[in-house]
Amino acid sequence: MVYRWLRDLHLYFGLFVSPFVLLFAVSVFYLNHGKLRPGTPPPSEAFHNLQIPDGFDRLKGREAAALAQHILPQVGVSGEIGFLRYVARDRHLIFPVSIAGLESTVDVDVDGRSALVMRRHMNVWESLSYLHKMPGPHNVAIRGNWVGIQVWRWLADATIYLLLFISLSGIYLWWTIKAERRIGLTLAAGGIVTFFGLVYAVIR
Amino acid sequence: MPSYAKAFEVWNRKLHYYLGLYFLFFLWLFSATGLMLNHQQWFGDLYRRAETAYDTPIETPDGDTLAARTRDLMRQLGLQGEIDWPATQPVWHIDFNVSRPNGAAQVRVDLTAKQAYVREFRNRPLHAFQIFHTFSGSRFNQPASERDWMVTSVWVFAMDALALGLVVMVLGSYYMWWQLKKKRTLGAFALAAGLVTCGAFVAGIL
Repeated sequence: MVYRWLRDLHLYFGLFVSPFVLLFAVSVFYLNHGKLRPGTPPPSEAFHNLQIPDGFDRLKGREAAALAQHILPQVGVSGEIGFLRYVARDRHLIFPVSIAGLESTVDVDVDGRSALVMRRHMNVWESLSYLHKMPGPHNVAIRGNWVGIQVWRWLADATIYLLLFISLSGIYLWWTIKAERRIGLTLAAGGIVTFFGLVYAVIR
Repeated sequence: MPSYAKAFEVWNRKLHYYLGLYFLFFLWLFSATGLMLNHQQWFGDLYRRAETAYDTPIETPDGDTLAARTRDLMRQLGLQGEIDWPATQPVWHIDFNVSRPNGAAQVRVDLTAKQAYVREFRNRPLHAFQIFHTFSGSRFNQPASERDWMVTSVWVFAMDALALGLVVMVLGSYYMWWQLKKKRTLGAFALAAGLVTCGAFVAGIL
């Protein structure tokens, strides 16, 4: 009974999570070996008569990101704001906004109520790598300022929890095949020796 | 079923759990550190590190290139890790940073005075553990960054092997699932749900 349930859950959870596993696995090759060469800067598009909320000169973090999100629909951009830079001298607000496939840089002239938007398209590898790294450890104070990344964070976590379940249930399912125990244990031991050997080599 | 198809089925199944067992600890490391990277709020003082500073005499470093001279200096100072150089070097100086998961060092070498000024940082174990997730010595958005420590290259090879192993396991699992005729419908729903959800993000819809 337990065997049958575990086998079915291993299968169905595995199938659901498999596209995410492929995404995280394939993007590793680009993260480890890819190089993004800077190209010519994309042309910028100007927007005027914008409604700019007050408060960028005093608000920081999540509150400032929430205010900046109000500007985005007016300039035809949506996505996660990477960081916010307010230049007090000329009252400009500059911030990148990303979704997989597109990174936009928005430069808002707060007093002039205008904005310049530069859009740079990502290639497929960069898009996959972007998703791999999101939400990530940087700018935690404002991360998840867009609903897409809030959902993606949940899915990335779910991928991890499901992978842990799949690996543990996989151990159980393998153990029930008595003929495979010896070679399986040998391989697991080989993996453990390789793992700890590498970790030791890196930190010694 | 032809014998070659039967053999493929048997070996595909074996490969699935052989790879899974071999890479088990690697998978758990990247899973646990992935959770850490996405939930920094769980770890209040993760980045606090112990610092020691000292200066020490050095011999004039050997080598024709900056990299060779830096490696010679690292040998003299007993440092190991990935090297980063600042964009420009002061005259008659060699400045560099060395990093690895459990720590880093900032080194400023005055070649005229034959003196090295070193600040060493020791990361906490949990921070070191997290760095293994991203320890590749190269950043795709910094074309100039390159791996220059052999140990990093071996670790990157392990990362690549795990990624390739996961791809093989996933593709093999599709075949095994398809062979189970009674499970095809429900399995197709599960796979479609995953594909649609993940695809929406890849396509930039979400």
